[in-house]
Amino acid sequence: MTEIDSRLLEGLRALAAESPCEAPRHVEARLLAEFRGRSRARLRNRWLAVAGGAIAAGIAVLVWMKPVPAKLASAPPQEHKGVASQAAPVQPQTTVSLSGQAQAGEVAEDFYRLPDADILPPLDSAVIVRVQLPISSLVAMGVPVDEDRANESIQADLLLGQDGLARGVRFLN
Amino acid sequence: MPNRLVDGDSDFLQRIARGDEIAFLTFYRRHQGPVYRFALQMSGRAEIAEEVTQDVFMMIMRSPKQYDPGRGSVAAYLYGIARNLVLRRLEQERPYLAALDDPDSRNAQLAARGPDPLSDLTLSERVESLRKAVLALPPAYREVVVLCDLEEMDYAEAATALQCAIGTVRSRLHRARALLAEKMRAEERCAV
Repeated sequence: MTEIDSRLLEGLRALAAESPCEAPRHVEARLLAEFRGRSRARLRNRWLAVAGGAIAAGIAVLVWMKPVPAKLASAPPQEHKGVASQAAPVQPQTTVSLSGQAQAGEVAEDFYRLPDADILPPLDSAVIVRVQLPISSLVAMGVPVDEDRANESIQADLLLGQDGLARGVRFLN
Repeated sequence: MPNRLVDGDSDFLQRIARGDEIAFLTFYRRHQGPVYRFALQMSGRAEIAEEVTQDVFMMIMRSPKQYDPGRGSVAAYLYGIARNLVLRRLEQERPYLAALDDPDSRNAQLAARGPDPLSDLTLSERVESLRKAVLALPPAYREVVVLCDLEEMDYAEAATALQCAIGTVRSRLHRARALLAEKMRAEERCAV
């Protein structure tokens, strides 16, 4: 190493030692303020997302719970394709109100009583929920089905009691 | 830079992503010094160094998960960001800094000689004139001098920060030192 090289390295070392060690404090303060602003915005966005989700869930529940007006028809249940007509309809112990909330002493006439309905507590109030059922599942309800159409589905109203358990079913198509 | 390979940096980056202020502050305090010095030694201007330091950590704040541990240390990653920002700033200010960036220009030679080339140079004067000489180097040479000689970074890490081969770092450093030595010789000739 020549003398000039060693003086160069000495000078570079001195230059490195002379350099400031840190950025000015106000840089940290500015960054910290920015970070806090971002954290607040993130928190606000999170709350908005949670609130939005809760509102959406509430609307979904309301839509799902929207009662379907029950028929007060006294006509015998219609025969459905794929479902044999031997199942006995629920006896008219009560009648379901048009709002779907059954009052004591009310029931729809065209609902089939489900097999376990007899062992459930008496119906004080009820809600009707419209569902799409596979025809094959009707066997479990004690409804005789046409095996050729077991793979198809059928639209039905379920009559749920005050305990949320199904008492009866009504077929729509 | 003694804290180049700091344990837990990846963990800090994850915590920063979750909005942990303490993690951000700790990370900033660990790394701001070298980033600021690099920007200052590259640009020669405190206001650019401040802006670059701020922008580097703003980028960390915005996208802390962009760092890939497989591609090098956090320090090399931060130097890489700082380098791009400094070069962009220098490019924007080229009309004003052209004279300093061109090592062959008369102005650059004058800058390398220092304010009073006829005086007998003390160490502090030599340091000052060396600082100007480093600033007068072309950016590609200046950055290797700053990283390897002033920040004492090893060649491999410098190559990661500069996104080039280790051989390129070596050859640039060799050439940069030769340029600086030449300036010192010229300065001493003027001083005699």
